[in-house]
Amino acid sequence: MGLIQRAVESAGIPTIGITLQKEVTRRVKPPRALYLRYPFGHPMGEAFAVRQQRAILLAALRALETLTEPGAIVAPGWAWRRHRFD
Amino acid sequence: MLREVGNAVAVQLFKRLPWLAEHWARHHRFVEATAVPWARVTKPVKESVTALVTTAGVHLDSDPPFDMSDPEGDPSFREMPSDVDPRRLTITHNYYDHAAADRDINVVLPLGRLRELADEGQVGAVAPHAYSFMGHIDGRHLRTLLEETAPAVADRLRADGAEAVFLTPA
Repeated sequence: MGLIQRAVESAGIPTIGITLQKEVTRRVKPPRALYLRYPFGHPMGEAFAVRQQRAILLAALRALETLTEPGAIVAPGWAWRRHRFD
Repeated sequence: MLREVGNAVAVQLFKRLPWLAEHWARHHRFVEATAVPWARVTKPVKESVTALVTTAGVHLDSDPPFDMSDPEGDPSFREMPSDVDPRRLTITHNYYDHAAADRDINVVLPLGRLRELADEGQVGAVAPHAYSFMGHIDGRHLRTLLEETAPAVADRLRADGAEAVFLTPA
C-alpha cells in the first residue's frame, strides 16, 4: 500500500494511510501514516462500529493536516476491542 | 490444495499474532526507500475533495475479480463510484481474513463514514471514484505496479479533482 501512496503523493496529492505493520511502513516510507495495533483485515476497526470507524478516519484526516515531517507515523494507541469510542 | 490450506492457516496466524507479522517484515525484502515524496497540504480537509484508495481487494461484483492463481499477485486496479451501493461491492483477496469486511465494507473502505463527514461539512466533498488494488503484489508484478498501475491511479485521482487521499491496507 505504501508504494501506491508514494505514487499518489508524487503526483502532487497529499496522502495519509493506515498501517497495521509499523515495521513495513518504516521501510517503505510513505509520506504520512497512522498506525493501529489492529489485526489484519481491520484497518478501520470492527464491523458496524460506526463511532470507531469515524474516529479512525477523523484522526487520519487530522494527521494529514498537521504532520509536517515526511515519513511520520502517528499512533493513537487504541487497544483492539478494548478502547471505548464515545 | 495444500497451498490453499497453508495459506488459510497463515492468514489466521497473521491475523491473531501481530508480532509474527513484524518478524516476517524484518526478514522480508521490500522496495526500501530513502527519500520520501511530499505534497504540501495547502487547504484544510473541510475544503478538500477527498478520495479513498484501498489494497484490500474490493471491487464491483460486475467487474472481473483479482487474479488469485498467480503467487506473485495481481498489480491491476479497479475503480468504483464513491456513491456505490455497498451491496454491489465484493472482495477478492485470499491473503487476509475479510469476514468482517464482507459484512461491513467500511472496515476496509470507509465510503459511508467519508460521506457522513462530507454531509457534516468536516470534509469538503467526496471524490467521484474510489480505487482498489489487491495488496499482495510481488516479484515481476512490482514493476508493473510502480511503473504503470500506481501512476495510472494517481492520474485518475488528479482527473477526479482529488485534493486529499486516504489509503487503507488489507
